[in-house]
Amino acid sequence: MALDRGRAARDEAAPAPRLTPDWPGWVACATAAVGFFACLVGWLAGGDGFSVPWAPSLDLHLSFRLDGLGAIYGLLATGIGALVFAYGTRYMTLHLEHERRGAVERWRFWPWMLLFAMAMVGLATAQDLVLVFVFFDLTAVCSYYLIGFDRSDSKARTSAVMALLVTVVSAVAMLIGAVLLYAAYGTFAIPELIERVGPSETTTVAAALIAVAALAKSAQVPLHFWLPRAMAAPTPVSAYLHSAAMVAAGVLVIGRVHRLLERSELVMTGLLVIGALSIVVGGVLALRRDRLKQVLAYSTISQYGYMVLLYGMGSSTSNGAAAFYVMAHAVAKSALFMTAGAVTMATGEDRLSKLGGLGRRMPVLAVASAVAAASLAALPLTIGFFKDELFFAAAWEEGSVTTVLAVVAAALTLAYIGRFWVTLFLGAEKGQVTERSVVMVAPVAFLAAVTVVGGLVTEPFARLAASAGEVTAGRPVEVDPGYHLELSPENLMAIAAWTLGGLLLAAPRLTTVLSRTLARAGDLFGPRRGYEAMLHGLDRASAGVHGLEVRDLRSSIAAVLVPAGLLVGLAFAATPTDGAFALGHVSGADWVILPLLGLITVVTLVIARSRSRLAIALALSVVGFALAAVYALIGAPDVALVAVMVETMLALVFVAALARLPQEEPDEDRGSVVRKKRRRRDVVAGSIAGLAAFVTVWGFLSKPAAESVSDDHIRLAPEAHGGDVVTAIVADFRGLDTLVEITVLLVAVIGVATLMRRGKTW
Amino acid sequence: MIIAFALAAAVLFGSGAYLLLKRDLVRMVAGIMLISQAAVLTIIASSLNRGQAVIHVGPDDDPSDPLPQALALTALVIGLATVALLLAMVHRVVVVFRTSEQDALAATEAEVEARLERKRQADREEVEGVEGAKEDDAEAIEHEELGRVR
Repeated sequence: MALDRGRAARDEAAPAPRLTPDWPGWVACATAAVGFFACLVGWLAGGDGFSVPWAPSLDLHLSFRLDGLGAIYGLLATGIGALVFAYGTRYMTLHLEHERRGAVERWRFWPWMLLFAMAMVGLATAQDLVLVFVFFDLTAVCSYYLIGFDRSDSKARTSAVMALLVTVVSAVAMLIGAVLLYAAYGTFAIPELIERVGPSETTTVAAALIAVAALAKSAQVPLHFWLPRAMAAPTPVSAYLHSAAMVAAGVLVIGRVHRLLERSELVMTGLLVIGALSIVVGGVLALRRDRLKQVLAYSTISQYGYMVLLYGMGSSTSNGAAAFYVMAHAVAKSALFMTAGAVTMATGEDRLSKLGGLGRRMPVLAVASAVAAASLAALPLTIGFFKDELFFAAAWEEGSVTTVLAVVAAALTLAYIGRFWVTLFLGAEKGQVTERSVVMVAPVAFLAAVTVVGGLVTEPFARLAASAGEVTAGRPVEVDPGYHLELSPENLMAIAAWTLGGLLLAAPRLTTVLSRTLARAGDLFGPRRGYEAMLHGLDRASAGVHGLEVRDLRSSIAAVLVPAGLLVGLAFAATPTDGAFALGHVSGADWVILPLLGLITVVTLVIARSRSRLAIALALSVVGFALAAVYALIGAPDVALVAVMVETMLALVFVAALARLPQEEPDEDRGSVVRKKRRRRDVVAGSIAGLAAFVTVWGFLSKPAAESVSDDHIRLAPEAHGGDVVTAIVADFRGLDTLVEITVLLVAVIGVATLMRRGKTW
Repeated sequence: MIIAFALAAAVLFGSGAYLLLKRDLVRMVAGIMLISQAAVLTIIASSLNRGQAVIHVGPDDDPSDPLPQALALTALVIGLATVALLLAMVHRVVVVFRTSEQDALAATEAEVEARLERKRQADREEVEGVEGAKEDDAEAIEHEELGRVR
């Protein structure tokens, strides 16, 4: 790991330079704190929104509203953001010192972090599907730069690319879904869509596409593999990404468009299944990870699985519970990540097997993280207890399968997070504590305090969750957590989960086998294999196409002509041809034009077949002059005159060029098999090109425009002091075009002069 | 007439494309000339009206459509500039390489290709970092840890 390397370098060489205080970080922290209070005040004032036109021709609006759902995510993004940023000021300073990077590197970090927070707030309040997409991708772009912050580390770079590809490519699915909905219902605005959308095939497809984007973002199975990799990021990034940004963005979108997804039974079932799978896969894999951040990363997959499952249930209870869960999880998870980062910074170790007994040496951190871990494991007196209470209630309401699943899920959570904390802070002392920092422990302690307060006074949190649930469900939602000392199903499920979790914690051999088998299976058959195969395949295909294209001049031309021809063919196949082609009438001068066009056709074919260059030059002149005659006959004397002049000059230039070129070498291998084959291929290619041109030009000429500016030009020509309308157009109405044209001519003249004089201009 | 214009333009274009595929650089220039002729013819053929020349148009006249004519003028002149530049380039190539045959130029291309290949190799090494990351998951469950459990 980069950290180890940096540390090793520090140990053997002179002490690393001390960096100045991280004021960009503190500015980011202060901005986030201001944002938090703005969100809070805005929500307490009832929450309002605004909508201004963005691209009216596309029916796009910049519409934002700070409703309950927006408030939760906005408060999390800014509140957790402020704490993580404060923590980051110290962490990043140490990190940069260890890696011997200058303070200027901070400017590659904090602007992205701040933009990340802003994008999250924008996403939380956006009310327009395209706007949601834009912010969705903005978070992905930020995460790319943040995950790849240690850019000298190849692992960090590949992780960043993986996170970007998985989330951005799937985000395109969301855009497609939005366009599908727009095509069917005529709006991108989410509130209006919710009013208009009914169950239909389009709705199912669009909802599924949006759900895919959201699930990939929330790292749900089978697109979860990018998240554990993203741990290559500096810890503040991980803490933020997992709790309040990026990963939360997926669940946020599900909460926002839930009433669209609800229209499709299939999508809701899909959410249930994927949520359940993610809980189990993430939970089991988290049981035996060795790296601190890996345990937490798999835990995140599992925890967001809870929320997806809750949204998949779709009842009012579960929608409120999901909103509550987001809050409780964000507080606990960010605290745990910061704990992991503080421990790693203090000891230089990032593996559970190399750490232990830190409780006596870092007592404040131990207690604070114990509270956070207890909250994640849903022990009483923490806010996390209620997240599971609500979860159990919703699962009980849903049926027996979800009830069992909920208990297993909670047991897994208790087992892995229990192991994490116990290994880290209890037992024999392992690892040296060399670095102590108040700034890195204080945010964890603060979050622990919030956790305990939330465990005692649930009212404000419940109110926020209820208001968010109302936005999601579209009807009033009851979120009423509290301690009930009775044999309710929720309490029984909690007791069962604790017992089972305790047993798992006490049976490390069983969990090791379980976790290792799943990890091996994942390595062998997992989706990451598909991703890598896809990446390599695309790379190979791209290299192949590239190699083909740059092979020689011919293939470069083919690289333009073949795709162009295919596109024309596709467009032709897709366009209705009924009545698109007209033969046209023949009258008056047309009887003279027809034989001229015939002559042009014949001479053109002669040019193609000709073996002598001189014959080609002369035949080209014949074509040019015949065309000039055609122009003269259809009432275009200006064009005819210019054509005659141009053709004369071209004929002279061409012949002059031929005179200066060496004699054509006699073809030794004329008539050889290779030659013939090549020639046949060229004929086929030329015929296809001609056919495509024919179809295109014919269709284009058959549908003349209903009106044109020509009449205005004719009317206005006298005012431009031009008797000849064409001259007036060239010199006056489209004078700027002519100016550019003259410039092109000038450039060409300079080019020719330079080439003829071997690079010497004068 | 429409189909006649379309046919003529199509033959011009098709022959131009055929010549573009030839090995001889002079023929390629001829191909480009034919293709630009096809373009001009198409523009002129798209006139909404074919009548008298649009000079001193009176109220009772039936003038041709002037707009395509103005566009055709532009196309013709630009075509001239393009062909002149191309011919100058061909001339230069022939002076430097002593041939206007693509096959003979391929040797030079091969040299460029070799340089590109080296660059591509560097790109590939960057991508291959993905494979290097694979080991991480397998080692995540530490052997040490397993030993301790037993």
